[in-house]
Amino acid sequence: MANTPGAIPEQTTRTVVTKTPLLKRLRGQRQLMFMSLPIVAYILVFSYYPIWGWVMAFQNYSPAKSFSQQEWVGLKHFKFLLTDDAFLNVLRNTIAMSVINMVLGFATAIIFAILLNEIKHKLYKRTIQTISYLPHFLSWIIVTGIVASSLSVDGGIVNVVLMKLNIIQEPIMWLSVPEYFWGIVGASHVWKEVGWNAIIYLAAITSIDPSLYEAAEIDGANRYKKMLYVTLPGIKSIVIILLIMNMGWILEAGFEVQYLLGNGVVVDWSQTIDIFVLKYGLQIGNYSLATAAGIFKTVVSITLIFAANTIAKRLGEDRLI
Amino acid sequence: MALAGCSGDNEKATTPDGKEVLNITAFIGTPNQAPAKDNRIYKKIQEELGVNLEMEFLVGDLQQKLGVMIAGGDFPDLITADTKLVSAGAVIPLEDLIEEHAPNLKKHFAKDWNRMKDSSDGHIYWLPNYGVYTGEFISNYYSGPAFWIQKSILKDAGYPTPKTLDDFTKLVRDYAAKNPTIDGQPTIGFTTLASDWRTFPLLNPPEHLTGHPNDGGVVVDENGVASVFADKDISKRYYKELNNLYNEGLLDKEAFVQNYDQYLAKISSGRVLSMFDQHWNFQAGEDPLVAQGKIGQTYVGFPLVYDTSITDHYLDRPVINLNNGFGISKDAEDPVALIKFLDKLMSEEYQKLLSWGEEGVDYQVNEEGRFYRTPEQRKEQDDPAWRLINKAEGFYAAAPKLEGTFEDGNAIGAINQPEEFYDNLKPEDKELLDAYGFKTWSDFFSPAPENPVYYPAWQVDLKEGSDAAVANKQMTDTSLKFLPKAIMSKPNEFDNIWNEYVDAYKKIDVKSYEDRINEQLKWRIENWSAK
Repeated sequence: MANTPGAIPEQTTRTVVTKTPLLKRLRGQRQLMFMSLPIVAYILVFSYYPIWGWVMAFQNYSPAKSFSQQEWVGLKHFKFLLTDDAFLNVLRNTIAMSVINMVLGFATAIIFAILLNEIKHKLYKRTIQTISYLPHFLSWIIVTGIVASSLSVDGGIVNVVLMKLNIIQEPIMWLSVPEYFWGIVGASHVWKEVGWNAIIYLAAITSIDPSLYEAAEIDGANRYKKMLYVTLPGIKSIVIILLIMNMGWILEAGFEVQYLLGNGVVVDWSQTIDIFVLKYGLQIGNYSLATAAGIFKTVVSITLIFAANTIAKRLGEDRLI
Repeated sequence: MALAGCSGDNEKATTPDGKEVLNITAFIGTPNQAPAKDNRIYKKIQEELGVNLEMEFLVGDLQQKLGVMIAGGDFPDLITADTKLVSAGAVIPLEDLIEEHAPNLKKHFAKDWNRMKDSSDGHIYWLPNYGVYTGEFISNYYSGPAFWIQKSILKDAGYPTPKTLDDFTKLVRDYAAKNPTIDGQPTIGFTTLASDWRTFPLLNPPEHLTGHPNDGGVVVDENGVASVFADKDISKRYYKELNNLYNEGLLDKEAFVQNYDQYLAKISSGRVLSMFDQHWNFQAGEDPLVAQGKIGQTYVGFPLVYDTSITDHYLDRPVINLNNGFGISKDAEDPVALIKFLDKLMSEEYQKLLSWGEEGVDYQVNEEGRFYRTPEQRKEQDDPAWRLINKAEGFYAAAPKLEGTFEDGNAIGAINQPEEFYDNLKPEDKELLDAYGFKTWSDFFSPAPENPVYYPAWQVDLKEGSDAAVANKQMTDTSLKFLPKAIMSKPNEFDNIWNEYVDAYKKIDVKSYEDRINEQLKWRIENWSAK
């Protein structure tokens, strides 16, 4: 961005916006305004209008009655949620699995991208990249099938390999040990998404100025030093922005994986908010409870995004909002 | 824009005699395979009755599917029965429609008319699909609950009759010791299932082992009072036995983590020696074994009890399958046409088509007018792929149907025709039944006593979102959490985990669940007795 005339050029990356009257600015940008209208309308209709449905959370909603006949119950459903042991337990699982997925997801994707970037053989590099992002296009139902059969005690490949290597004597029942569940979900996520998530970092790496590498080389940096002092800082801003965006999804630890891999034995570790809502809301026709849980998730997510954004601002990093 | 190739959406299909074809959408709450596009029976129905059935079968979890349907407020014309739909006002009362337009249905349900009325408002919302008999009640095929054991085990042991759980497990132990693998895969001595709503294979055995009939999650004493048994000693005894089997390596290690499809696949591999289940629930896993001619690896059911002083009550008299079958949704444009269609299908002509098939194609009639099948026709009936093209099984199972005998004395359905049943038996099956001196698979069970008026308790509607419904969910969750843990524990840890389970159970409002059941049983006794 060029500095506006009249402003004193500063040694900062920030641009200085001169204040012009609002109306004048609107007139000046009328084509832009016009172009954004359909999008605004879309968001109003599909994102804001349905918020009206939130009133269900404060009623004992019954689909058979009209709006005026519904019974209002205030914060009853929120109280039930926040005092119910089972809900606090699913909240723990949701946050834990989410954090595990996020940390593992970021770390593996960044490492993978940097390592892949070091490969100089074009064809080899492309092949690896293609193979790594293909699992992203499989649906979870397929992936959980693969995971379940690999972990089976009945000739599952994981147990077979571990037994052949004499690491274990007896096949392990991976899916019936509650403590393993989070790890299995995390590992499945990494296997499925690492290649896909690495794409954006690879793109960011290619935009780093090559002269920086040359300068580092002249200063005597070896391969690892270059990764550490040139590549990593070069993609720092994109990492931060993605982190902030992902904060909003922290209560979305997923539904399919846990629903498909979970079972009665590991339920204390596998049940997420979405599954809880399905079981105690949708399945027994308690729509109000399901809505209350949804509102809870939304409020927490918005709070987290703003918190992350503020922290980034304090650290003087690029921000989302 | 490429248009999707949907044929016949804009042009109205017509029957051969030029009538417009009525499209009926139906949601069927069981996971059937969709019939072939040009299925012979559905085609015949379309040509003769002018109705095209557009069926959607269940994929995944029924309660979730219905919950989403209700939330979206969009329903097909005919919808699978579920009490949830009544609470949501999604279905219309049927009593007047039946009175006015459906003489066959009226006649069929006449003696159960009062039972079909909803206990909260007195309307009839559902047309139950099973349990109303005309003429003689025959059950050659046993579809209910039992402890199932492979036929080859019985043959190997000289056709014994296991009466108690101990007799049964001994048979399994001995056979598994002799046959560590079957068809090259490790033998599984006993398996069970607790996935989605199909938790009864794990949770119901204690009530049967103590001589109670199938009342679902409760046992009802002689005074008609229901109580929960999942955390009582009668249950502990059974799960302790499973714990022993587990520690001997006879219990399927993955019994509690498998889903329904994996369970069926396991059974169809022929290496599961035994399980507790209801026959209709694992029939789909047995079919491939029959198709492959592995009759020795299909099952016989035994009504086991804890000790011989107890009389088994597995086999029960037919009871109308309340809260099952079809209802008509509020979105149906022409309920009268729908009920007329269902009524036509209730005539003997169409019931013969749906149960036996087409005369001369699927069955023959001899000089005495008895229906029978040729060996080729029987072979076709064993083939699941053939049935998708030539039978209307998905719809027939969900629709109201005649059961028992037709007016001409033929049984409804080939399996219930005594001579046909016997001729259709595989040589191995004949040998087995002859060895026991039995004629049918039901003969292994004690004759069914008269049903109590309120029977069965599992049909009670808990009411959506009520405390009873929440308690029931929590009870199931708790059982599914602790029972596998207890069963898969070391023998000396079992008691501790069992006590934990009982304590966890105490935290649940079980009373609200029991109260709802008992209140409904009382209501039934008051309203159904005076008939």
